[in-house]
Amino acid sequence: MSANTPSNDTILEGVGLVKHFGGGGLLSSSTVVRAVDGVSLAVQSGETFAIVGESGCGKSTLGRLLLRLIEPTDGDVLYKGRSILGLNQRELRQLRRELQIIFQDPFASLNPRMSVGDIVAEPIWLHGLAKGSEKRERVTELLRTVGLLPAHADRYPHEFSGGQRQRIGIARALAGDPKLIIGDEPVSALDVSIQAQIINLLEDLKDRFGLTLVIVAHDLAVIRHMSDRVAVMYLGEIVELSETDALFDNPLHPYTQALLAAIPVPSPARRQPKALLQGDIPSPAAPPSGCRFHTRCPHARPVCRDQHPALETTPDGRKVACHFWREIQGAGAGSITAPPPSPALSKRLALYRTWRERQDTAVAPSP
Amino acid sequence: MAHEATLQHAREVGGSGQLSPSVEKPLLNVQGLSIRFDGTPKDINLVDDVSFSVGKGKTLCLVGESGCGKSVTALALMGLLPTPPARIVSGTAEFEGQDLLQLGERERADLRGDRMAMIFQEPMTSLNPAFTIGDQIAEGIVRHRKVSKAEAMERALEMLRKVRIPAPEKRLRAYPHEMSGGMRQRVMIAMALANDPQLLIADEPTTALDVTIQAQILTLVKRLQEETGTAMIMITHDLGVVAEVADEVAVMYAGRVVETGPVEAIFEDPQHPYTIGLMGSVPSLGRREGRLATIRGTVPPVELMPKGCRFTPRCPFSDAKCANEPPPLGEIRPGHRARCWYAPLEEKRGAAA
Repeated sequence: MSANTPSNDTILEGVGLVKHFGGGGLLSSSTVVRAVDGVSLAVQSGETFAIVGESGCGKSTLGRLLLRLIEPTDGDVLYKGRSILGLNQRELRQLRRELQIIFQDPFASLNPRMSVGDIVAEPIWLHGLAKGSEKRERVTELLRTVGLLPAHADRYPHEFSGGQRQRIGIARALAGDPKLIIGDEPVSALDVSIQAQIINLLEDLKDRFGLTLVIVAHDLAVIRHMSDRVAVMYLGEIVELSETDALFDNPLHPYTQALLAAIPVPSPARRQPKALLQGDIPSPAAPPSGCRFHTRCPHARPVCRDQHPALETTPDGRKVACHFWREIQGAGAGSITAPPPSPALSKRLALYRTWRERQDTAVAPSP
Repeated sequence: MAHEATLQHAREVGGSGQLSPSVEKPLLNVQGLSIRFDGTPKDINLVDDVSFSVGKGKTLCLVGESGCGKSVTALALMGLLPTPPARIVSGTAEFEGQDLLQLGERERADLRGDRMAMIFQEPMTSLNPAFTIGDQIAEGIVRHRKVSKAEAMERALEMLRKVRIPAPEKRLRAYPHEMSGGMRQRVMIAMALANDPQLLIADEPTTALDVTIQAQILTLVKRLQEETGTAMIMITHDLGVVAEVADEVAVMYAGRVVETGPVEAIFEDPQHPYTIGLMGSVPSLGRREGRLATIRGTVPPVELMPKGCRFTPRCPFSDAKCANEPPPLGEIRPGHRARCWYAPLEEKRGAAA
């Protein structure tokens, strides 16, 4: 992974990660779901790394494996070069301070019986970072950081809207001074206008605290906007891993191409018939032989059914798992030509931003 | 077919009395629809003065964020809104020459699933898990047509073919849980279109689906629309989907239509500050161009709703006039309307520093 960015240091690394569910004990069903099946990746310090794929591709499982929230069936996770699988309770607790997660549904992940102040203070107390008035000050500061009011500390999660709840979740994740935060679909449950606020907040916090972000998501526009590198997953495997702009400008894997082609482009002038993927995603309990994408791939040939393609590195340092990526990349499918906003829209957006800034400086700042 | 002929006739008769005979009479014309819910402050309608129309065979997109009243509006049109707590305060909804809001329960039931049909976001909760797909499609056909069960099943099979479900004979006897989300949504569409409705209301039909499946469903809907000439109201929050399917767009905010017009006008020349903010909030698919423009804050709760324009507290351009006087849905260009005192913004808000 570090081939194209040798100077950067790897903060978190997954090595041959495998997670199978089921098939275990006497009472569990005999079908084995191969949620994650041999994934290796390395997250560089300070970058925003995105993991993208459709439901059931194993992206959330991978996110949890990277934090050791679930134990892998096989493989290893290295944090700063050291395996986190062998850590004891005390060491693991220290690790949890540095690696944090934000969940998709901000309501389900906040304890409804705890006040917001207690929710945010819990990691501070747990790690013994501060006590008494110092702790309260820290909570106040955290709430301000994420754009909430200090008075909100006495309220309960149900009193907040979805966007505000996500802010609470972020404040809690920040409480232990983390080095890396994994966001598991952090904005997909939110309305568009709120989503933009949270995206901006995450980016501000990343700059301010020098965080590394791993974003697990399905929304490709959000990923293009936020991330430096992207890993595309299909049925438990990484099929392509590349710098964001390169991936969107010239997708190599046919699945990436199909994924990009399927995004509705927000410009009515660009309507055109699309080359669509046929059929549904096969079950991860019985993935197809050979290349797992061959059942839906428009370029599939006999060899794809029999031979599993390795994740090979291209001359320009990208990674792709396809027997025929060299031929396919010229097919022209996929790459998105996003239309520039119309002159009228650009003009009004500029006007909107100007007035918005003026409003922010006039009133109390709000992210 | 017979229905279409009658409708054609009705339209010609109705159309002759219009001021401009060249303009086709819309299939559905909603004017000044206001809906109130029991338990909310008296003077505030959750859906307030909503007007739009849908032409025959055309697609109107109702766009807005959660709680803006787009689904409530659709349910009111379908006659599926429970009273109490919902009360229709005022307005008309003319569909094929009759006011939907004046019809009795029996007449509404005759229309539903026949002349107008609806599909929902989550196909699993709208299908009955205890009956086969075939039974559920046939049920609606038997209810509205004088046909035998066997004929209805035949029609159900034809519908499954129409929505491109593989192995339709087998699927006819399948139960909803045996199908994927995308297939279930196809079944819902088959069910909705079984009686050749004139109007299909689709409430976030692809929101729960993956992006590749969403593309399949949108393409299918478009193709079916071309085949059958059904008009559609698509409710969505996804501007990408709007750009793909809409002919006309109505942007809703906090229960009011704030901007309406042809899809090109809305995307190329948006007028209302909310529409502009919404466009700025969506990350572009192109190379990154700095931070997203955001709309500050959240929708105020009902009891704090401003008297005037409901977007006032979040609008960068707002002033005291906005807070106190509700702006009219003024025409900017023919067919393009915006509910803002200061539209077009560059004229009325451009020079001021």
